[in-house]
Amino acid sequence: MELKFERIAGRSKPFYLLSCGLAGLVAAGVYSTWLMHDQGLHLSGMSSRIPWGLPIVMAIFYIGLSAGSLVISSLYGVFGKLEYKPFARVATYMALLLMIGALLSILTDQGRIDRVVVEPFSHFNFLSMLSINPFLYSSYILICAAYLIVMMAGNEKWTKILALIAVLWAILVHSGTGAIFGFVPRALYNSPLLPPSFVAAALSSGTALMILVILALFRLTGRPLDKAPVLWIGRLLAVLVLIAGYLVLVENAHRLYAHESRAAERFFLLGGAHSLLFWGGLLLVGSVLPLLILFHRRAGASIRWVAVAAVMVVAGVLCERYLIVIPGLAYPPDLFPGWTITQSPIEEGIASYAMSLYEVLQALGVVALMGLLFLWGLRTLRLLPTEARRPTEFPARAVAIGCP
Amino acid sequence: MGKTMERRKFLKTGALVGAGAAGAYGLPLLTSLRASAGNALAPSAKCRWGMVIDLTKCPPNCTACVDACKRENNVGSTGDRLRDIYRIRKVTIESTLAVGVAPKAVPLLCNHCDEPPCALVCPIKATYKREDGIVIVDPHRCMGCRYCVIACPYNARHFNFRENDQRPNPAYPKRQRGVAESCDLCAHLLDQGKQPACVAACEGIQAKALCVGNLNDPASEISALIRNHSVKRLREDLGTEPKVFYIGL
Ligand code: SF4
Ligand code: SF4
Repeated sequence: MELKFERIAGRSKPFYLLSCGLAGLVAAGVYSTWLMHDQGLHLSGMSSRIPWGLPIVMAIFYIGLSAGSLVISSLYGVFGKLEYKPFARVATYMALLLMIGALLSILTDQGRIDRVVVEPFSHFNFLSMLSINPFLYSSYILICAAYLIVMMAGNEKWTKILALIAVLWAILVHSGTGAIFGFVPRALYNSPLLPPSFVAAALSSGTALMILVILALFRLTGRPLDKAPVLWIGRLLAVLVLIAGYLVLVENAHRLYAHESRAAERFFLLGGAHSLLFWGGLLLVGSVLPLLILFHRRAGASIRWVAVAAVMVVAGVLCERYLIVIPGLAYPPDLFPGWTITQSPIEEGIASYAMSLYEVLQALGVVALMGLLFLWGLRTLRLLPTEARRPTEFPARAVAIGCP
Repeated sequence: MGKTMERRKFLKTGALVGAGAAGAYGLPLLTSLRASAGNALAPSAKCRWGMVIDLTKCPPNCTACVDACKRENNVGSTGDRLRDIYRIRKVTIESTLAVGVAPKAVPLLCNHCDEPPCALVCPIKATYKREDGIVIVDPHRCMGCRYCVIACPYNARHFNFRENDQRPNPAYPKRQRGVAESCDLCAHLLDQGKQPACVAACEGIQAKALCVGNLNDPASEISALIRNHSVKRLREDLGTEPKVFYIGL
């Protein structure tokens, strides 16, 4: 049976309502971004000691999600698995949008937005991860776009080639993003494991998000969906969560073992509210519970439970992204070994960060913009198949979860 | 037959993905190699500015250098502890190893590292090391990414969170919002043959705890100070090669 990709109608009341809501959030985001740049970044919760906050957390979260989406698309594009062809277009489109969101978060986070367009091109610093990465990101966006175009044009050969390039590029992009943190001499940043663990968490969160997007799309549009491929993606997710968890474990065990990083690691594990995000968010909700669900014989075979696990993984990785950025900055460098600073005109010692409303609005604005582009993309482009069933199977065996 | 073909294809793809990952790591490695090669040449410059801070001469409650710096460089104060800028600040430190050790008052500023991590990470070379060893931010180029603030292991970098309208020194530009800020040893004064504001202020109160001079000139006062005293630099183990030397730390 030939796959047929169709636009969604997008004429229902909920569609327009959702679009309006998202547009409102985008407007709020634009306004708060403008305020922060008109008056200064002191409106954010950042300080000279914690100069990166929510925008960077969200940026690396999106970057990660983008990679995972691309993996789902590559199941068809690179590995030629036909049963994932129905999701390949949506997945690539998502990867593209998420990367745009990431780039947008980073750009609007700069102190001088007016300079980001010219300076990076005129004074490229090949030694700076932050100089290399924007180029990786923008080229990645172009590659994803090209990949999507040839896939939609039905050019099998170029789809294969570009899918492979996109996946390789995604790994480069993610290692590069991990290196922004891993290659900086701060106690909780400096780690060669950060790039690979960044990639692993990226793949698991993105795969989880794709599960949710696929389920939501087919259900909302009432298109039939065979559950076997989704369950298989669930198993893939379990493996990815295991790998990501393993890397997190090794990294933290090493930091705890090595004398020079022990105090910092203690702060990370038991030092405050962020520790709760580590134990409760990343470990329990983000790793252990989803693994229990996905490896459980019955729960792992139930779409509903796989969806629950996917939500948990996405939430866990969001915690992980916060944990990459903030505690590493909050933990102070030891300026005087054997001494402690007891008086200073600035904040010394462990620094504090509380995100401000402006930052939250800005982040929501970016999310809303991606949502809006996604919705209208579905309406204008042929991204979603009319049904997703195994090519070899009898239609009768497909479970139409779209029709309750 | 079909199975083996598939496997071969799978292996081939896997190998390519692996090669991509290797590339991702190769790039930073290669670039960092270039970094150390480039910086090794720096000390040969004729003039290499450095600073000596003699803590034994620095009165605990004095902030003459801090105040003079703020005036000279138009760095205002708003009372916001989290975001106020101190190109030079004075901290008090107490020993955690032994009891009964007297606390010390220590001026802290940019160390003008010979291997400055801040300049290494700046994506657009807005932070750079001048020929004479001064690490400086170009406020007209800096795009405010704050990566340098993060990379400096001495908390010597700050960020202009606010537009600052205080301009006590009309001869020096106003500090603008959205760019990084750190001590530049008053390069504008050194270039005119004058002393940095903090050094002049310290001399003004007869303390003479600060000395700025040419480290490459064996006849300079700073070279003599370093020769004749046991000096320490902050966190020498980091390999940043600071050029601020402390006596009595
Ligand atoms: S002390 Fe900090 S700001 Fe100054 S040169 Fe060294 S790394 Fe850069
Ligand atoms: S804040 Fe400015 S000086 Fe610092 S790294 Fe970014 S662009 Fe360079």
